[in-house]
Amino acid sequence: MSSLELLSIAIIMLYVLGTVCIAVGLLARRDRLKRLSQWLTLAGFALHTVMLGLSMQGQTWQILEKAYYFRMLSWSLLLIYFFVWWRLRLEFLGLTASPVALVFYVSSFMLADVQSKLPPAMSGLFFGLHIGTLFLSFSLMTMACGAGMLFLYMDRKLKHKTPLSGFDRDLPALSAFDKVNHLAVMAGFPLFTLGMVSGFVWARIAWGKVLSWDPKEIISLVVWCMFAVLFHQRLALGWRGRKTAVMAIWIFAVCVFSLLGVNFLMTTHHSFNPQ
Amino acid sequence: MTRNPEQAPRATRPADHKTHPTKHRVHMDQEIYLIGLNHRTASVEVRERFALTDCTVLEQGVVPTGDGISEVVILSTCNRVEIMAVGNGPGVPARVLDCWAAARGQKHRDLEPFVYVHKGIDAVRHLFSVASSLDSMVVGEPQILGQLKDAYRKAVGRNATRVVLNRLLHKAFSVAKRVRTETAVASSAVSISYAAVELAKRIFGEMSQYKAMLVGAGEMAELAATHLLNSGIREIMVANRTFERGLQLARQFKGEAVLFQDLFVRLAEADIIISSTGAHEPIIRARDIKDVLKRRKNRPMFFIDIAVPRDIDPDVNNLDNVYLYDIDDLKEVVEENMAQRREEAAKARAIVEEEAETFARWLKSLDLQPTIVDLLRRSERIAQDELARTMKRIGPVDDATREALQAMLCAIVKKVNHEPITFLKRRFHEEEAGTRYIDITRRMFNLDCDDVPEDAHSDRKHHA
Repeated sequence: MSSLELLSIAIIMLYVLGTVCIAVGLLARRDRLKRLSQWLTLAGFALHTVMLGLSMQGQTWQILEKAYYFRMLSWSLLLIYFFVWWRLRLEFLGLTASPVALVFYVSSFMLADVQSKLPPAMSGLFFGLHIGTLFLSFSLMTMACGAGMLFLYMDRKLKHKTPLSGFDRDLPALSAFDKVNHLAVMAGFPLFTLGMVSGFVWARIAWGKVLSWDPKEIISLVVWCMFAVLFHQRLALGWRGRKTAVMAIWIFAVCVFSLLGVNFLMTTHHSFNPQ
Repeated sequence: MTRNPEQAPRATRPADHKTHPTKHRVHMDQEIYLIGLNHRTASVEVRERFALTDCTVLEQGVVPTGDGISEVVILSTCNRVEIMAVGNGPGVPARVLDCWAAARGQKHRDLEPFVYVHKGIDAVRHLFSVASSLDSMVVGEPQILGQLKDAYRKAVGRNATRVVLNRLLHKAFSVAKRVRTETAVASSAVSISYAAVELAKRIFGEMSQYKAMLVGAGEMAELAATHLLNSGIREIMVANRTFERGLQLARQFKGEAVLFQDLFVRLAEADIIISSTGAHEPIIRARDIKDVLKRRKNRPMFFIDIAVPRDIDPDVNNLDNVYLYDIDDLKEVVEENMAQRREEAAKARAIVEEEAETFARWLKSLDLQPTIVDLLRRSERIAQDELARTMKRIGPVDDATREALQAMLCAIVKKVNHEPITFLKRRFHEEEAGTRYIDITRRMFNLDCDDVPEDAHSDRKHHA
């Protein structure tokens, strides 16, 4: 176990360094620091992957430490970040990905030694369908939120004709931020829907009822509705730019509330509280 | 890569001696002079009268080398004439002025009041600021460096450059590069049409998939359209009240002319709209654009209104995904950029100053005695470093052994350097060759501790 702890410390150190480097690199406009941050985060991600693999050994999907979920979420965030970076080459998203991943990774320690029992029915399959899809979808929305904030920032500057600073000049064009939103919505909504539906099917199989009016279920339905509106407006009405950026930020905010607020503070069968 | 150095078309090769009937030795007391005029010292009429851009004049070599002047490079653009000359004796500027005036069929005294003469480090500093575009009318404009490179190439072709100007010009190019990369002096647009293109890039990024439309055909719109084409825009449409003029302009940009009454139908295709009609009332209003936006599924639009009175209702800017800049907004952007450039220019001047001093130091060292000292010092340093390293490895030794080792190293340093030094001393007293061999020695042993990039002289290697 201590080797895993050591690994965890190394991962955290790498993520912290990655976050600091990208922040300083962007603000002080140092390309070398930005690249360094990329490598540090990638190294952290590699170790993270190894760690997830090692701690899965001898475990089943059914009984996992709750901390494991947050580590997985943190991992999927970076996975999506590297995916988006590979597709669109937007390094500034590291400013969103690294710190958020770090926060989730560190908060996983609050849950150390708390075990979570999944409903036994087909736990392997539903683990992927329900949890995997929702985590990926959340990661995509995190990217959309980061891109959305920068979109609003630049949009405001261009509309109000405010002089651009050096930092602003280094940012990519407005259309690049919108591309992130497009990608996140187009891939994120189907994933989220799949995650929701499989969750209800799983509940039907395991507990015999689709909806048990659990706070988590209700807030997830709210998120799904918001997501559906965004998806529809983007696809059918061609919404883009400011409105979609604002919606993505709201969806992300509600998701974070659902992940941290609901799971810790309210009684729900998704609870992370020690039972 | 491997070739006979004798056949190398090196710029530093000495001229044939028959074209150079110099009787006296030329080294040591050589001085760099820079004689010139620019947009600050001379009005445009004067600049026209004394411009040396005429090829035939230049071919003959306005200022012939020889007779006290050993190297000459002439730069002549519409804003300046700069003549760099290396020679000895205080008569150099007067001779250059004579030749210059004579080349344009004018009198020496007509030219003199507009001319500045820099000498030594002042000349170096001036050339470096010219190359880095700090002396330009629009600070930071990039053309001057290309023009200087051309001027240098021509001088090399005339065989009018040697050690000093070769190094000076190469240094000037690298200083210009350093200024460009280390300061933001040239990084922002300082013309209205270019500022518009920069803004378009902020919104759209890569321009190759976007279309622009000119509404009205003013001169400024034409200029902006040219900039847009240069930055790779896909197509330019022209909507003009008189269709003929629109057609003509469209042909010029290889674009499409659009009937003016179809403006709002075709506007849905355009991402960037440059408007410059002479209309007294706004012709494009927010409610028209709302409809256009619906048809183009809210893809962003960038309106540039350079007409006075304005063509586009300012309300348009309040629509989502629409950005409107009028002439005053663009002027403000340009002014902002200008102020930023001036700030950066101070940083650039510090770089120029530093590099000029380094160059002046090199120029002073381009003599026999300092080179011998540097050569010996270099070997001595290497020997002492190695001795220290060896001592560390073999542990403590008695004084006798240490002294023996020291003596051995001393002897090696002396003997290894003996032949090169004798060679240098002998050559130094030959005509012409002096500075050249000193320079080669300094470069061969890197006595000036220059950073030589890996790709240095790659242009020459390919042609070998």
